[in-house]
Amino acid sequence: MSESPEKILDATGLFCPEPVFRTKIELERMQVGQTLTVSADDPAAEEDISRWVTRNGHELLSLSKDGNTITFQIKKVR
Amino acid sequence: MTITDVINHIGNTPLVRLDSLSSDAINYFAKLEGHNPFGSVKDRAAYQMIKDAEERKILKKGSSIIIEPTSGNTGIALTGIANALDYKVEIVIPEKASNETKDIIRRLGAKIFETSDDLCPKVGAGTDQSIALATSIASSRPETYYSPNQYANEANFRGHYIGTGPEIWEQTDGKVTHFFTGVGTGGTITGVGAFLKSKNPDVKIIGCQPQQNHLIQGLRNFDESAKPDLFLKREDVVDDWVYADNNEAFSVVTRVFEEDHLLISPSSAAVYACMKKYPVSDDACVVGIFADDGRKFKSIYTDQNVLTAEEFDDCVKSAQYMSELAY
Repeated sequence: MSESPEKILDATGLFCPEPVFRTKIELERMQVGQTLTVSADDPAAEEDISRWVTRNGHELLSLSKDGNTITFQIKKVR
Repeated sequence: MTITDVINHIGNTPLVRLDSLSSDAINYFAKLEGHNPFGSVKDRAAYQMIKDAEERKILKKGSSIIIEPTSGNTGIALTGIANALDYKVEIVIPEKASNETKDIIRRLGAKIFETSDDLCPKVGAGTDQSIALATSIASSRPETYYSPNQYANEANFRGHYIGTGPEIWEQTDGKVTHFFTGVGTGGTITGVGAFLKSKNPDVKIIGCQPQQNHLIQGLRNFDESAKPDLFLKREDVVDDWVYADNNEAFSVVTRVFEEDHLLISPSSAAVYACMKKYPVSDDACVVGIFADDGRKFKSIYTDQNVLTAEEFDDCVKSAQYMSELAY
């Protein structure tokens, strides 16, 4: 069986910078081209994760908000 | 070594005369904290912080996880002591900390999280990233995690106020006139400084700082890193500051080996360089904290062209005052 190209990380309930740290660890374990969906509810995660993803050469496919929950779709590029 | 042996061996470290700096009129001494069971001054703080948490019934054997941000030695000390007492340990450490240190921590049984400076730039660099991550992990799971937080924990100060300070006073027969140490958490300088000044208010307490963007594991430069809360509470104990840059620190390592027969760590080298350039009058009795010995620093000493790999191995074999470690 091939590995699913989609990964999910639930970082709700965690305080920054743990959501960005967990995102980094998860992306390091993934293959280039795979997509990671991260949900977080610490408001600081919006800036932390968006900036870290861009600075490290990955692609932020989407960012959406539902109440307090922020959802990021990230493509591993390198 | 049993846990009782380990705990009984914390403290009472040797005070050794530095012939390379001393003269007939002035005596310079190094307090060799590498002689603690897990190899550094941090055994004192780690033990006091765990003991304090046990006494306050914060820790539960078998279920509590101790998490701590550290640039190295506290990680080694906490992991060694906590594992022996049946607590799990997770260490948050800057990725630029030495590989030797990380390997020792892993070997002693801790889980390691490595932080990079790009994680959350607004909190600062280096250990500040590790502090932020450890705090966030512990604060979202308070039932499981306990972070001693050496940067604010009074038990860290107390370890030096009841241990290191009285030892130096007795070992110098009350003659100490100047005390030098590096500052990381501020536990050593405030604990020893407050004790020595309680015995003799004229003792000069001198803090040693590295340059910005330094390579001196364990020390902080306060222009680039925040002053820890533990330090801020008693910062007036410090009479003076001396600065040593990377080159000044690394350049004394071989001299100290040749003349004093000690293989010293980068932070001890920074303290030595500060002691060397600070003017003192005749009859001074100068004591410096050498927080650990040099055996964990092969990669940085070879990278910085302080010693070749072969020279380093020879130094480890022939250095005097190398202690037996508990790992």
